[in-house]
Amino acid sequence: MSAPLTEPIGSADPSSLRLAGATVAYAERPVLEGFDLEVSRGMFTAVIGPNGCGKSTMLKALARTLRPRAGAALLDGRPLAQWRSKAIARRIALLPQDPVVPEGITVKALVARGRHPYHSPWRQWLSGDDEVVAEALRATGVEQIADRPVAGLSGGQRQRVWIAMILAQDTEYVLLDEPTSFLDIAHQIEVLHLCQDMRDQGRTVVAVLHDLNQAARYADHLVVMDAGRIVAEGSPSEVLHAELVAEVFDLQAEIAEDPQSGTPMVIPVRRAGDQVIRS
Amino acid sequence: MARSWTLGLLLLVAILGGGLATLAWGDLGVGPRDLVTAAQGGADTKVTFVLERLRGPRLLVGIGAGIAFGVAGALFQTVTRNPLGSPDVIGLGNGAGAGVALATLLAPGIVPAPVGAVLGAAVAIGLVHVSTGLGFASPARVIITGIGVAAMALALTQYVVAVSLRDASSQLAGYLVGTLNSRSLGQAALIAVALAVLIPLTALLAHDLRMMDLGDQLADALGGNAVRTRTAAILLSVLLAAAAVSVAGPIAFVALAAPHIARRMSGTPGPHLPLSALVGALIMVLADFTVQHVAPVEDLPVGVITAGVGGLYLGYLLVTDWKKADA
Repeated sequence: MSAPLTEPIGSADPSSLRLAGATVAYAERPVLEGFDLEVSRGMFTAVIGPNGCGKSTMLKALARTLRPRAGAALLDGRPLAQWRSKAIARRIALLPQDPVVPEGITVKALVARGRHPYHSPWRQWLSGDDEVVAEALRATGVEQIADRPVAGLSGGQRQRVWIAMILAQDTEYVLLDEPTSFLDIAHQIEVLHLCQDMRDQGRTVVAVLHDLNQAARYADHLVVMDAGRIVAEGSPSEVLHAELVAEVFDLQAEIAEDPQSGTPMVIPVRRAGDQVIRS
Repeated sequence: MARSWTLGLLLLVAILGGGLATLAWGDLGVGPRDLVTAAQGGADTKVTFVLERLRGPRLLVGIGAGIAFGVAGALFQTVTRNPLGSPDVIGLGNGAGAGVALATLLAPGIVPAPVGAVLGAAVAIGLVHVSTGLGFASPARVIITGIGVAAMALALTQYVVAVSLRDASSQLAGYLVGTLNSRSLGQAALIAVALAVLIPLTALLAHDLRMMDLGDQLADALGGNAVRTRTAAILLSVLLAAAAVSVAGPIAFVALAAPHIARRMSGTPGPHLPLSALVGALIMVLADFTVQHVAPVEDLPVGVITAGVGGLYLGYLLVTDWKKADA
């Protein structure tokens, strides 16, 4: 798969985002210790792993919302702690797992919040902002509901609105924490398509996903985590094997080929006592 | 947006109208014509006395304190994401009251009452900051510890009042409910200076404050610093409220109700800082007019009116909001 790699304008140095020897802890309990990861540029990366393995923590450390105790998150080789937070927000966007919808806000007003990193107390709106917001509304298919309050939308519509906000932020890196959780299947696929669209625009997308088959089908690159470590990394067909699924997820499974895309598909093995019902 | 401007203008007109009426009403009334003469320096002694000693200072202190309370409440409600938040809730008013009680009853003439108020408020808020363990980072802890600190401050005040003689307690009474009776131009200047310093700082903070309703994580991800913004907002809120309390006492409900009333009028979702300021000022002007000129409540401390009327109005707002939410 050839991913489009866009160089940042006016810079000869390729941009990079990575964690180097990062130790990240909640209270006293370290979730990640001496963690290394280089985000694959221009790709759609899916981070998978069992609950509590540190996926979300890793994502938050990459986005500066959690600061490493030791080691660092590095953007272009420079620790995030040394960057101005607005400058980071113009390069890296993060959609948290359960974002708060401000009371009474409309779709368009929420999407416009994505422009905040470009503003200052003296410049609250820029000439190009309207176009960027309109484009974000169009790309996510929410322009028809632009004037509706977000609170009244369905889960699927709401998630598209949040992604529109991230698009309006217009960043090179887009980090999404479980963007498909709590959505029904059609809306899950819709969000994954939006992730692919963002990649096709030249953005680097990293999403924490739960569904192994969706991760293998839609992402270019998988990062498999277990107990705060990366246990495997690579293209879905390189990474997703029966042994790995058994070891990491404690699930006996066969790997088959997705008839649509040829990507690996995880099929749980029948338990000894299971009844097979045929109609 | 346009609606906010119109509303702001209407509120300004109402404040001005209320202020002029307060000055003009009754036997000692100073009408608009007297004001023009006074501005040109040709006023007689009666007019000068009313303007500089009686009604002028209390009007100015009322407007200034109203603005300070309104902004303080709006700041506090924004960063705690709690519609019932106000500096009073975290013990500011009671702390100020305890400070004044200690200053006036235990060390009379040594520590001036406004200084006691500010020190008491500072100690109360400092206690809240220390005892949450997280500073002002967790809104829920700030409110819970604040309620505890407020209760302790109240207990301290009651103790001081109980062990002291009652002769010094009339000044104290003003600080316990809030009053505009016998204000001075010095106090008007004090609140004016406080506003001149604190309001521009608030305006600067407003840029990042707008993002706080998205939650800490998104506020950070969009280039803010949620913890720093919250701490700065609570500090500004406390300073504004402390300034108002030091010149007018802990006038009840203005900080709590002004942002709600402004929000209802404007139809904007979050607390609206400029409109909250204007509504705060208007409430004070109207309440002060009432205690100066309406016979049954004449000469009561203005805090009694704001507590009574503001409490009723806030209750009405909440009930209608809840009914709408349930429908």
